[in-house]
Amino acid sequence: MQGAVELSILQFSLIYLLLIIVLIIMKKSKVNQTKLLLVASLRMTVQLVLVGYILQYVFSNPKPIFTIIFLILMITFSIHRVITSRKDLNRKFKIAIGVSLTFSGLFVLIFFVTIVVGKSIFNPQYTIPLAGMIIGNAMTGVTIAIKTFMDDISKQKNKISSLLNLGVEPKDILKPFANNALETALIPTMNSMLGMGIIFLPGMMTGQMLSGTLPTTAIMYQIAIMIAICTSVCITVFLSLNLGYKSLYNDRKQFL
Amino acid sequence: MSELLFEASNVIYKENLIYNDIKIKKGKINFIVGESGCGKSTLLKLLNHTINPISGRLLYKGSAIKEYDPISLRREVSLVSQEVFLFNESITDNFKTFYSLRQKPEPYEGYITYITKLCCVNVPLSQLTSTLSGGERQRVYIAIFLSMCPNVIMLDEPTSALDEKNSHEMMINIIDFCKNKNIELVIVSHNKTIVDEFCEHKIEIVKEA
Repeated sequence: MQGAVELSILQFSLIYLLLIIVLIIMKKSKVNQTKLLLVASLRMTVQLVLVGYILQYVFSNPKPIFTIIFLILMITFSIHRVITSRKDLNRKFKIAIGVSLTFSGLFVLIFFVTIVVGKSIFNPQYTIPLAGMIIGNAMTGVTIAIKTFMDDISKQKNKISSLLNLGVEPKDILKPFANNALETALIPTMNSMLGMGIIFLPGMMTGQMLSGTLPTTAIMYQIAIMIAICTSVCITVFLSLNLGYKSLYNDRKQFL
Repeated sequence: MSELLFEASNVIYKENLIYNDIKIKKGKINFIVGESGCGKSTLLKLLNHTINPISGRLLYKGSAIKEYDPISLRREVSLVSQEVFLFNESITDNFKTFYSLRQKPEPYEGYITYITKLCCVNVPLSQLTSTLSGGERQRVYIAIFLSMCPNVIMLDEPTSALDEKNSHEMMINIIDFCKNKNIELVIVSHNKTIVDEFCEHKIEIVKEA
């Protein structure tokens, strides 16, 4: 097995030619998103170039402080993304999401890196990419869950007020909404587990194989990361909703 | 024992919703009337403590409403709101679902038949509620709350989706049922004929300027 061919800048630039095809098709089909395509490609390039240089530096100077800074930034940005995705979240709900995402992300990450892989949590080569996948997916999952939960609640105001008038505890009214949101958030992860290896070869596994890792090793990492993602999505969503829905009513059992 | 069921004095909910002096009597059929937007429905919500006033005195049977356990109060003082909600299943199953949510044993088929007839629900009980008309849904909804025999039942516009004949018949039956079971009645209504015929104590809410 040999490592991936090192790309020269010129060779690498050729890949952008493919975007011309996309642009032509978009023009022909009157998809007015050419600007978005250009901005997105540019932003992606700049962001990845930056992170590439930073990681290169961090990997060759593996100090714990760098890994810690990376983790803090990843967690902060993902929490920020989730809580700014909805205008109608109260402060306690936002705190619940932040705490849940941090706890669940770190728990799964530490289990993966220190117990399964057997490396130090401060090892940037393992911790940073795995943290990105685990926390990033938890972020997407909890965003879907919060959207489902809050949308359902506002669509079913009549149900909620009827059950409240009937004398049902607010937690018993909201619990089914939380359960439904958890299910909705877990489905994409479980679907991708179903298709894995047959419909598509996942990105991480492809990357490892390109860089020379044996496929048999690559699949073990892939399976491990999928289970880790599934778990972190599940714990994050479960905790966020179960801590969060309590912020929707007061101690006089009235909805706020 | 006080002869007042509810009492509200100087209750402020919002700056334009103020209840200065409201007395709802025990053993009478109480009707709450007033123009739209004067806060009739809001008053009912204050009485079953699903919302809180900013200030003022709200009493139920002589004690402050905020001293009661909110869940037991709502089970005792049942509010049947105008916004009907039924599960998308048969009428019988709706009774069963509502009873299990209230943690009450399943009602007997015979009792469901009796109480729905009383509320003028003239469709088979196996029918899905999604196929019912607005008026039928409203009557099923009232029947469910009524069947649980709370101490007080507060009906918000119970005849809003009904024609004259059905309204009249249903009101006679409900009042008869409540008198028999000693259930106190508080009704919000716009229907002048109904108010004139059944009202024993009228509470008029005037909108503050």
